[in-house]
Amino acid sequence: MKWTIHPAKLLLTLVALPALLIPALALGYIVYQGGAVISWQFISTSAELSGFGASSGVFSQLAGSLLLAVGACIVATPVALGTALFYQLSNNSRLCHHLELLIYLLQAVPPIVYGLFGLILFVQIFSLGVSLIAGMLVLAMVLLPMLTLNNITSLQRIAIEQTDAARALGLTESALVLRVWLRQSRRELITGQLLAIARALSETAPILFTATVFSGVVWPDSLLSPVTTLQTHIFYLAQEGNHPQSIDVAWGSALVLVITIVLFSLLARALKPSGGNL
Amino acid sequence: MLRLFIHSSAWLSFSGLLLLSGFLLYASWPIFSEQGLYFIAESEWYPYEDLFGMLPALFGSLLSVGVALLIALPLGVAAALFNIEIVPSCLQPWLRLLMELMAGIPSVVYGLMGLWLLVPFLEQQLDLLTGRTLLAAALLLSVMVLPTIMVLSEDALRKVADDQRQRANALGLSWWAVVQRILLPQAWPGIRLATLLSLGRAMGETVAVMLVIGSIDRLPEPLYNLLQPAQSLTSRIGREMGEASVGSPHWSALMSSGLLLMLMSVAVVLLSQRRWFK
Amino acid sequence: MRRLLFILLLSSLSLPTYAAERLRIAGSTTVLPIVAEAAKLYRQLHSGLTLTVSGGGSGVSVASVNRGHIEVGMISRPLTEREQQQLQGRVQVIPIARDAVAIAVSRVVYEHGVTQLTRQQIAAIYRGEITNWREVGGPDSPILVIDKEPSRGTRHVFAKVVLGDEWARAPGASIVTGSNNEGQSAIANSDKAIGMLSTAWLNKQVLAIAIMQNGKAITPSQGNVSAGLYPIQRTLDILLPNNHSETTGAFVEFLRSEQGGDIVRQVGYLPVQ
Repeated sequence: MKWTIHPAKLLLTLVALPALLIPALALGYIVYQGGAVISWQFISTSAELSGFGASSGVFSQLAGSLLLAVGACIVATPVALGTALFYQLSNNSRLCHHLELLIYLLQAVPPIVYGLFGLILFVQIFSLGVSLIAGMLVLAMVLLPMLTLNNITSLQRIAIEQTDAARALGLTESALVLRVWLRQSRRELITGQLLAIARALSETAPILFTATVFSGVVWPDSLLSPVTTLQTHIFYLAQEGNHPQSIDVAWGSALVLVITIVLFSLLARALKPSGGNL
Repeated sequence: MLRLFIHSSAWLSFSGLLLLSGFLLYASWPIFSEQGLYFIAESEWYPYEDLFGMLPALFGSLLSVGVALLIALPLGVAAALFNIEIVPSCLQPWLRLLMELMAGIPSVVYGLMGLWLLVPFLEQQLDLLTGRTLLAAALLLSVMVLPTIMVLSEDALRKVADDQRQRANALGLSWWAVVQRILLPQAWPGIRLATLLSLGRAMGETVAVMLVIGSIDRLPEPLYNLLQPAQSLTSRIGREMGEASVGSPHWSALMSSGLLLMLMSVAVVLLSQRRWFK
Repeated sequence: MRRLLFILLLSSLSLPTYAAERLRIAGSTTVLPIVAEAAKLYRQLHSGLTLTVSGGGSGVSVASVNRGHIEVGMISRPLTEREQQQLQGRVQVIPIARDAVAIAVSRVVYEHGVTQLTRQQIAAIYRGEITNWREVGGPDSPILVIDKEPSRGTRHVFAKVVLGDEWARAPGASIVTGSNNEGQSAIANSDKAIGMLSTAWLNKQVLAIAIMQNGKAITPSQGNVSAGLYPIQRTLDILLPNNHSETTGAFVEFLRSEQGGDIVRQVGYLPVQ
């Protein structure tokens, strides 16, 4: 009988349940707390109210988060794509091995370390100050390894026969890259960008010292202007919130941020040519 | 033209790690030349008395990550097994989707939940002086890495060839014996990789840990006491980076904390990629 | 095609790299409410100006003014010698308000009878010599001693008056917090905490105890502070570089005007006059 309860299976279920329930409950709690706060007005306005950190809406924070994430992705993409193409075109397998190891190493470097690096190089040595552009550059460095790995996988999915056929037709290397490789893998490449944006949206530590201020920016007027973001807004409110109202705003911001990230990840899944698991 | 682009991107990526470690080494050099390497093993951190003992933060980082993995690893692997072996197959992709989305939830949101949910809970349930403890940090980290461990372990378990299982079934092995002797050993390299990846992520986690750990530079007494406030390398950098004046020994010591973090994560990757050197 | 698009996007982004008028302010979270409120009002009066305010602490403001990353710094303690060397007289320190650092305790502790302590008792608590509220007439529970990050102005003033040295260690501390808000919520969320707080952050959950001096209990009331009786007090200042722009100067004038004084009173401090 299929449904007799096997003691080992029961034990496994008991151990597995907390692992499945705790994340689900956590997600549910954010939705519960944040759902009471968010409304269209909460997302679309950014008026400051009287009192510390009180604001009726998080529009400028949302805008700042998206600007940073999209900007970082735009900066990182050409480098990641170039590196991936280098990897694919290279005949030197030793070099490729080293490159791959290097990318894994870069990926393992904690985001806060990139933040420190950005603080020295971009904010101080290049004197960009605490600004949108400094934050974009730091986040681009955080994204670079994952984007490169993603691009390499995308390029590797192209059937070898197609490459061989293109080479047999006498296509030059650049024609091969532009007309065959990039065209064949464009959906996967775009999926990679969307996932990178989702990742950038979830980073707080690298931009804490390099790009954000507490208040006063509704829409940055230049790349050298600092921004406010959802991530740092939640951070400041969680750390310093004293009125119940500011904690409500923190939960609302958290829900807005989670929804934005989930939207980008779901969009990426929907575009994925192989369809993934769903 | 294209070649130039590809090569320069690759060199940019290649130089990334070099630049990163170079700048961090340059920034932390004053502290090494002034105090040697002993300060890493000392336990007093009073930046304004020029005492920069790293031990409490280093110990706090390692202990919180260790405990987090001790909790998350069995739960995560059990959840992966549960999803493959027990959950009806029509539900499996949904559970996995939930986990993948959970893995993308930003750490600052976990921090918010940690500070306003977990910390008061621990304080009340365990009747502590304060809920901001090493245990709070470890629990929060374990919830954060759980989805990653589960998703990657599931991938590893699914890769175990079906014919091996069928042969084992034909031999009349019980379900538990199949799991124990075939599935887990075969999937072990993948699970190990998942563990090391989570280890890296947890070690570099900043904002969530900073909000709940208590941030006090003191070794717990006794050393295994998880119920006391403590410090981690990331939380110290996050709290003090803004206040240190550039070029001062304090600043330099914070940079060396960053360097230490980076070296530790690099070591973790080299450990996980050991096969590459064979 | 793809790359062309990127180049277009990049160049369109990099066009407006020169800002209109910028006024960036950062530093002490004690001064922050005054300047943040003033900035809200000032923005409405001067729509062309980008005025950003952020915290960070007194230490941050000195470092950032020195690097030219901000136009005005906020500071809630005297400059240290090291900082004075760094700034080399290039910056003016301008007082905009007066404030007292209150010794704040959780409501439960206050209601249990701990409404006043001597400086020696407070020092003993922070040194770890007194660890239970019972020893000072409170409930039988351990003391949650909340220390602040060493660069914070509030801690400087507190440490100098109570512990005798502005960088004094506090071995009795249980946790370390940063801003006034963080300290306040830590005290409010506990029922056995003691901490140092600027008076503007006191409320029903977080109450100030009086300091016993020569047999008299002195509360950090506005009267005691302006009469100079309450011992732990200071001025709140801003750092203004000598080569500041006209716009920056105008904002600082605004802070020191009658209207600025109203804002100071409104957020819970005393004007300097």
